[in-house]
Amino acid sequence: MTTTTDTESAVAEFRRLSDSDPEIQAHGRYFSCSFLWDMEEKTFLFRMHRGKIEELVVDPGPLEGYDFAVRASADTWREFGRPVPAPMFHGIWAATFRRDMRLEGDLLVLMQNLRCVTRQIELLRTTGPLV
Amino acid sequence: MPTQTEISPVTGHYVTIEVEGARYRVFYLENGTGQPLVCQHTAGCHNHQWMGLLEDPEFTRDYRIIAYDLARHGKSDPPMNTEWWKEEYRLTADHYVAFIVAFCDALGLEEPIFMGSSFGGNVALQLALRHPDRFRAVIPVEAADHSPGFFLDWWQHPHANAAQVCASGVWDLMAPQSPEHDRWRTWFYYSQGSEAFRGDLYFYSVDHDLRGRCGEIDTSRCPVVMLTGAYDYLTPPEAGRRTAEQIPGAEFIEMTEIGHFPMSENYPRFAGYLRQALDLVARRTGMAEASAPRPRSPGAQVRRR
Repeated sequence: MTTTTDTESAVAEFRRLSDSDPEIQAHGRYFSCSFLWDMEEKTFLFRMHRGKIEELVVDPGPLEGYDFAVRASADTWREFGRPVPAPMFHGIWAATFRRDMRLEGDLLVLMQNLRCVTRQIELLRTTGPLV
Repeated sequence: MPTQTEISPVTGHYVTIEVEGARYRVFYLENGTGQPLVCQHTAGCHNHQWMGLLEDPEFTRDYRIIAYDLARHGKSDPPMNTEWWKEEYRLTADHYVAFIVAFCDALGLEEPIFMGSSFGGNVALQLALRHPDRFRAVIPVEAADHSPGFFLDWWQHPHANAAQVCASGVWDLMAPQSPEHDRWRTWFYYSQGSEAFRGDLYFYSVDHDLRGRCGEIDTSRCPVVMLTGAYDYLTPPEAGRRTAEQIPGAEFIEMTEIGHFPMSENYPRFAGYLRQALDLVARRTGMAEASAPRPRSPGAQVRRR
């Protein structure tokens, strides 16, 4: 388990990486939506606007709205945060088909932004686990 | 691999075939001489997936490698003489098998080895079951007796960019170790085939169902060597192994650090495993050039029943 300071620093690093990522900036001109990463021990609410993280809220309140959610156990998310993830922890499709990940909410929004969301989750391989 | 100033030895051709009353002009790439090795691309894709193999002299020395585009893919058009736009495209096992046999007949191929990946791997199992004397052997790559769950409406949803959804939906089927450039090339191929992808997956996830029938495959007439990558979330190694265990005499090779598109996401790594598979086929069928030491083999474990 990470401490609050660790989380804050990892979140700051994640924001910096995402907002400066060439792939996201190349594909994300219309990447504007909101989504939740539910890591069991912590949750992260992203509000994206034209490819940039407008807001990243750690442990948002219960009535915060978002388009879709990616949920899994903390252990699964920690596996996503390895530099080279093991099989079935290497993407949201893999972990949804074969592990405990769940995709919930308006999945059309996920599909509309699939390339950028996929890339963002892969940035965890650089930052390390957020929980 | 050729440099930018070299002309590839791979050549492209068109052949017209008739399948179940419909005429198709089929595009295929080929290179090499010797034992024909017919290669099927994955669903929603095209024959560029096999360019690494087509240009590899280690294989083209002994094999005539032929990689075709299935109708509605790449440079193979939909049927020439039917109003195909008036019905939803759903590929069936019957049609798929008939198409491949007609293509091999049109080229006059005698006892080709058939290799396909994903929905091409599943049809390889169908060919072994239905036409064991037409093919010298089959190499199903990323195949299983049953592969449910991918016949999805997301591939053609009008509110999402289908090219992006198809290409990025299959992204996770590739291993993180595979070279980034080759993964992106595979992604690019997938941005080109979205209109056929969903219909292909009708075969892959619905019409192809050999549960309880794999035992009918006669490997004494048509040897089966299955290859599956560890990062394939659709037909993971346990699915390939489970399938091979139901086929008396079948071989199964698990490929590590590679995924569902081994021939295009990381051809050099795939080549070692393919060499093992072809050597097994050669031994099983008495072909002359079997089993010289192969330095590129990554040392896969071979399981034989």
